[in-house]
This record gives sequence, C-alpha cells and structure tokens, in this order.
Amino acid sequence: MEFKKQILSNGLSVIGEINNSAKSAAVGFFVKTGSRDECKEINGVSHFLEHMLFKGTEKLSALQVNEAFDKTGAQFNAFTSEEMTVFYAAVLPEYLIQVTQLWAEIMKPSLRIEDFDIEKNVIKEEIAMYKDMPNFDVIDRCRKLHFDSHPCGNSVLGTDESITNLTALQMRGYFANRYAPNNMTVAVAGNFQWDKFISTIDADCSKWKTQDAPRIIQDHSGNKKIERIEKANLSREHICLMSPAVSAQDPGRFASSVLAAIIGDSVGSQFFWELVDKALAEIALMQFVAMDGTGLFCSYISCSSENTPKVLDIVKNVFDNLKSSGVTEKELQTAKNKILSALVIKNELPMGRLADLGFNWLYLKQYRHIDDDINSIKSVNQKDIHNLIEQYDSGEFTQLSLGPKK
Amino acid sequence: MAEKLDKYTLNNGLVLLGEPLRQVASVAFGFMIPSGVARLPEGCCGCCNVISDWIFRGAGNKNSRQLSDALDSLGLHRAGSVNSSHISIGAALEASNLSQALDLYADIILRHSLLPDQFQLAKQLAIDAVRALDDDPRQKVMLKLREQFYPNPLGRSTAGDIDQLKSLTAQKTKKIITHNFNLSHTIFCVAGKYDFDIVVEQMKNLFETDNQLPVKQIHTGEKTGNYTHIENEGAQVHIGLMTKTVTLADKDYYNARVAVSVLSGGMSARLFTEVREKRGLCYAIGARYHGLKEAAGIMCYAGTTPDKAQETLDVIKDEFKRLSHDISEDEIQRAKVGLKASLILSSESTSSRAAGIATDYYMLGKVRTLDEIKDNIEQTTVDSVLDYLRRNIFEDFTVVTVGPKKVKV
Repeated sequence: MEFKKQILSNGLSVIGEINNSAKSAAVGFFVKTGSRDECKEINGVSHFLEHMLFKGTEKLSALQVNEAFDKTGAQFNAFTSEEMTVFYAAVLPEYLIQVTQLWAEIMKPSLRIEDFDIEKNVIKEEIAMYKDMPNFDVIDRCRKLHFDSHPCGNSVLGTDESITNLTALQMRGYFANRYAPNNMTVAVAGNFQWDKFISTIDADCSKWKTQDAPRIIQDHSGNKKIERIEKANLSREHICLMSPAVSAQDPGRFASSVLAAIIGDSVGSQFFWELVDKALAEIALMQFVAMDGTGLFCSYISCSSENTPKVLDIVKNVFDNLKSSGVTEKELQTAKNKILSALVIKNELPMGRLADLGFNWLYLKQYRHIDDDINSIKSVNQKDIHNLIEQYDSGEFTQLSLGPKK
Repeated sequence: MAEKLDKYTLNNGLVLLGEPLRQVASVAFGFMIPSGVARLPEGCCGCCNVISDWIFRGAGNKNSRQLSDALDSLGLHRAGSVNSSHISIGAALEASNLSQALDLYADIILRHSLLPDQFQLAKQLAIDAVRALDDDPRQKVMLKLREQFYPNPLGRSTAGDIDQLKSLTAQKTKKIITHNFNLSHTIFCVAGKYDFDIVVEQMKNLFETDNQLPVKQIHTGEKTGNYTHIENEGAQVHIGLMTKTVTLADKDYYNARVAVSVLSGGMSARLFTEVREKRGLCYAIGARYHGLKEAAGIMCYAGTTPDKAQETLDVIKDEFKRLSHDISEDEIQRAKVGLKASLILSSESTSSRAAGIATDYYMLGKVRTLDEIKDNIEQTTVDSVLDYLRRNIFEDFTVVTVGPKKVKV
C-alpha cells in the first residue's frame, strides 16, 4: 500500500492509496455538502442536486452520461447524507481514467429546467418510497426530533412541500456555493497509476474556482423528547432512540463503535440476548453515528405493540446497568474482534478502502492506513469505555415511535 | 467461476470446494444443506427459518449463549439464507480462525441440542418476521411474486405462513432436520486464504461417514396465480412482475443474461431510461435474472404512487415485449462489458466467491471458470440474443401489487 496526495492550487484535495495486487480500482468525488448545509426553504436540495448531476452537461445529455458510464462496465452510484454527497465507481483498472474524466465532467452540470422538472417527480417518488419503509422513516423523524432546530436534524430527502417549491435557480445558487474545489476531495484506491490519475485530475479540475463554503459546526445534546406517531397501515412498533455521542473528529470514536457493538450488534450483544434471543423483539440494534462536530448513539427496535412496554423497560435496564456496572472484559474483547474482522474484510475491496480513505480525509484531513484503524480499535480498553459511559448517558435519549393505531 | 478450483469428495458424498484468492487475509466458508423450503412437507411453510435459528441455540457441549460467544470471539461474520432448495449457513472471518470455526459449525450441523424451550423462541421469532413483512411491502411483493410465478412448491415463501408456523411442533421440526440435513448432498465451499489439504483433513475428521443417502426429489405442480393484489394503505403501489426465462444449464443462458442487461443492466438500460429518466414515473425500477435449478424468471420491481401505477406497469410490459423487435450493437456491447466487469469485481470478495462456486456446483454439477464465463458472454451477438428472444417471447406475465390501488394486468 502506498499513499499519494496532492492539493491543487484551487484547493482540491486529491488522495490515493495504491494496491497493485487488486483486480479493480475505485474512485470517488467526496463533496462536503449535505442536508445540514441547507436552510429550510431549500431543504432536500443537496440530494436533488446529486440526482441532477447525472442529467448532463453542456457536452453531454442525460442519456449520454448514462451510456458513457455503462460503456466502462463501472459499478457506480452516488449518495447524499446529512454530512456529504459522494459520487463513486468501482471499475476495472483499464477504465479508471475514463470514469474519472466522466465524473469530472458531470461536476459541471447544466441543470436544465426540463430535466429539473422531470427529476422532481423522481425525487417525490423517492420520498413516497421511504414513507413505506418505517425502519427508515422512524430514524429520519427521530433525528428531526432529537436535533430540533440544529441543522443536523434536516431531512436528506426534504419534504413533498420543500421539493415542490424548490426552483432550478435556487439549486444553481446552492451548487455554485457548495461544489467548490476547496470543499471537495477526490480519492482513488486499488490498482491504478498515480501519475496518470493526477494528471487527469489536474487537466480536468484545476480551473474550478475556489469559493467560500462554510459549515456551521456545533455540538448538540438532543432534546430528549418522547413522541409516538400512529399510522393505520403499520403492524409493528418501530422505535428509534437517539442520544449524544462523540464526533467524527474525536479520538473516542473507536471506543464509541465498540460500545455500540457491545450494546446493540445484530448478534451476541446485550440487546440481542435481552430482546431478540428471548423473542421480545425481532430487531434490536444500536449504532454509533459519527458526524462533523457532533455524534449520536442511535438504536432501532422493531417489536409487537403488546411487547413494547416490556421492551422499553428492558432497554432502560440495559442502560442503567451500563452506568452502574460498566462492561466486562469479555464483552469488550468480543466486540473488538467483531469490529476488527469486519474492518479487514471490508478493506480487502478497493470500494471499501475508498470509503474509509475519503471519510478520513473529509473529517480529519488525515491519511490513516488500515493498520492505524486496527491499532486504534485494539487499544480500546475498559477505562475508555467507562469514561465514555460517564460522559454520555445513553439512557437519556430522544425517543420516537411509529406504530399502528391503539 | 473459479480461477483455480480445489475439490474433494468425502466418502459420504459431501463435496468440498475451494477457491484460493491471493492477497486477502480473510476466508469465507459455507455449507449448502439440502433443506430448502421446496423440500418441506406440506403444511410447514416457514419451518426453514425456525431451523436456521434453532440449530444455533446450543450445540455440542455448549448452550446457546456459550455457542454464540464462541462464534463471536472468533470475530466471524455470520451469513445465512434460505432458498427453495437449501439452507445455507457460513461466515467470513480472519483466516487463522477457520479451523476453530469449522469445529463449531460441525457441532451446529451434526450435534445441535434442539431444546424444546429454545424451539418456542425460534418459532416466535419466525412468526414475528412474517408479521413484520406487513411493514415491508417491497419485500412482501417479491415473496408473493415468486410464490405465484414458480410451479408449486418451488416458489414457497421463505418467510413462511403464520398459521402453518403456529401449528409447527418441535417434534415435527426435529424430524425434518433429521431427514433433510443430508450430508451426502451437502456442498461445502471455502474461498480466500486457506490451505486445502488442512481443510480436507479437518472436514474428513468432522463430517466423513460411510453412509451415502439419497436426497428427496422436488416434484413440481402447477403455477398458482397470474395477478394478485394485496391491499395496503401505504404511499406507493409496489409492483412485482415476472416472466419465464431459461435456467443456468440451458444453452441460451448467456443470451438471456445479456437480454436482461439490455433491459435493466445499467443506467442507460431500457427500463431505467423509459420508466424513470423519460417519464419520471418511479424512483426504484429494475429487473434481474432469478434462477433456480428447475426453472428461472426475469423478475422486475417498481414502486410508484397510486395514480402512476397503471402507466408504470404498461410501460414495463411494453419494454419487455419490445425487446425482441430490435437491439442495437451498442446496447449489446454495453451489456457485455457490464456483465464481464461485475463478474471480475465480485471475484475480489471471499464471501461472494464462496457462494458462487457452491451455487455453480449445485446448478451444473461443475464450477465454471472465469474465462469460460467471459468467453460465453463474449460469444453473444445481436443476432443470438434476438434469436433467443424470438423463440422465447415474453407474453405471459405474473404480476403482484401491494398498495392502495389495483392495476389492470
């Protein structure tokens, strides 16, 4: 593995990790913009814009963009979160430059009004689709409740109303401000030649203009409200719990991942033994969500309405016990083993490596070799976990439930 | 589709397959046990999910908790699935822990405790999983689609039926396990970093017997329906559509795969272009090949708001029918490049390689090499794909919808 880096004069960060034994390469354009960078009037614009980038440029129509990607056989896509918008592709090494040139080209979208109007329908269909996925919907709504007016509570998709009212002009303004080279990172991993790659990026991206692209960074402790929303067509109770945690920049993020796995991994965790193994809930998970300047512990539980009071009592006990008794050395070691093997398996693929490479650069402006992450997980000890428990009480949570009419 | 294949057959017929991958530190392994839903006796739909859970609730000298802790302490990532023909269990893990993991899986497969109190919990979870499908219309529509498309019992729901699950007893389930956990027709696969000689030696010690047992054949009956609508006051109508195609063993298999790619391989493929890009009818739209050993179909899903549901279905059906009229050279080239690239990209993952070699062996009785697959894809042409499509016209569609509005089929 060899790390490469160059910052272009316009501020565009270009980073790469070479693994010549890989059969493929993965490339990504990581834009540090997401729903947390939106105001209410344009909520959903980051995600809508992500779709619009595939709609073509001065040189290419939407169909030509899609055809050009498909000609390379690339497995490509994009996603938008609260934190970032990422365009990525996994590809055979001989097509890497071609795909990279395509990404660079579509970073200059035309944002044509006729494409904007048709794509608006697609976005509304996507909003409708997620309404039929209560496991997603409940997390989205809980985030809003937890963060209240803090920008991290903004929905990625926006609402039917915000999307209906959004204009192409507003989107163009947002694009001009946020898709600035100094607010972006291009990352590449796997089997590639750095010299060729960097000269491609230099040729295609060095004329992009630097812009001021600020982000409000503020920690938030959550408002700890409890709400339940009824939906007639649901048959299960979908419960989301959120409590504050460390940020993506905090060294405590490794201990936080371990703690979340101890409490809520899909098998062998405290939630698993207390809820799933006993058939009180079919799903009970907890995750650590690291964000820019803030963080979350997020739990999701699906169970019957009859079992809900019992399930919530048990969850309370789990969190109370955590405060009074901490975690055992055995729990700690097991969780670390699981995280470590997942890390190794994921990073064996250039696509998996690309994600970590990009995220680390976006949050930390730092290259971390896989061994750095492995060592950070290995070094988490009981004291780290207990400090975390003391500092962040998972029992003090915001709770949102979606369930059938009572 | 191995580059190098290791193979050994134990005296009892259990086949061991391996594909070494260079430059990985992990290994993935799996057991395909001939105990899928189509092999269940009548009235036990859902039993496979109970079995997959129950066998992990204590085995060998370990109770449920001790077994789970032992698996977790090896850092292994469990994978399990149920399909028409098999229950598959396995894991991906750091290579040095493989031997210990195989010891534990031998306990799980051969020396499961099957305690009655643990049965009740496994059964309750299986029932709850079926109930939870009501809140997952997309999954529900695809399960119902397979049930209606394939001749019974091939399409039986892998999730199960609540009434049949309720009437299931521990005794009955135990009998099914004894009968269907047939080592003579079990396939073991391993991919990644391993030493095959060591694996063979250990597997012989753990699993070899002198008994060769026959496997229960699946007898197929009639297809059970053409259109079903399930009412649900959700935001979208979830549409599932399926039509017949050839199986993996058929000489037209690669023509069929290229045809499906022209229809829905990438973002420039026809369904995405016509349904989403030009008309904005859907966010989620796609079709894929779905094959069993006995039968295969092209399976399509679209989710759309109620007032667009009819138009969406009509456009999809038109695109299926239009495919045999004309395909351009460019479309075929894109489809071929896409198929070849995804083949090579998936060959980097230990889990997908392990599953791939086992499935090939079950379907074909052999494992295809990467070059063989590439050559077969390469040999398809506009004429060969059109010729296949014209001999296999898409005219019989099985359709299932879940949502607030019915469609006309």
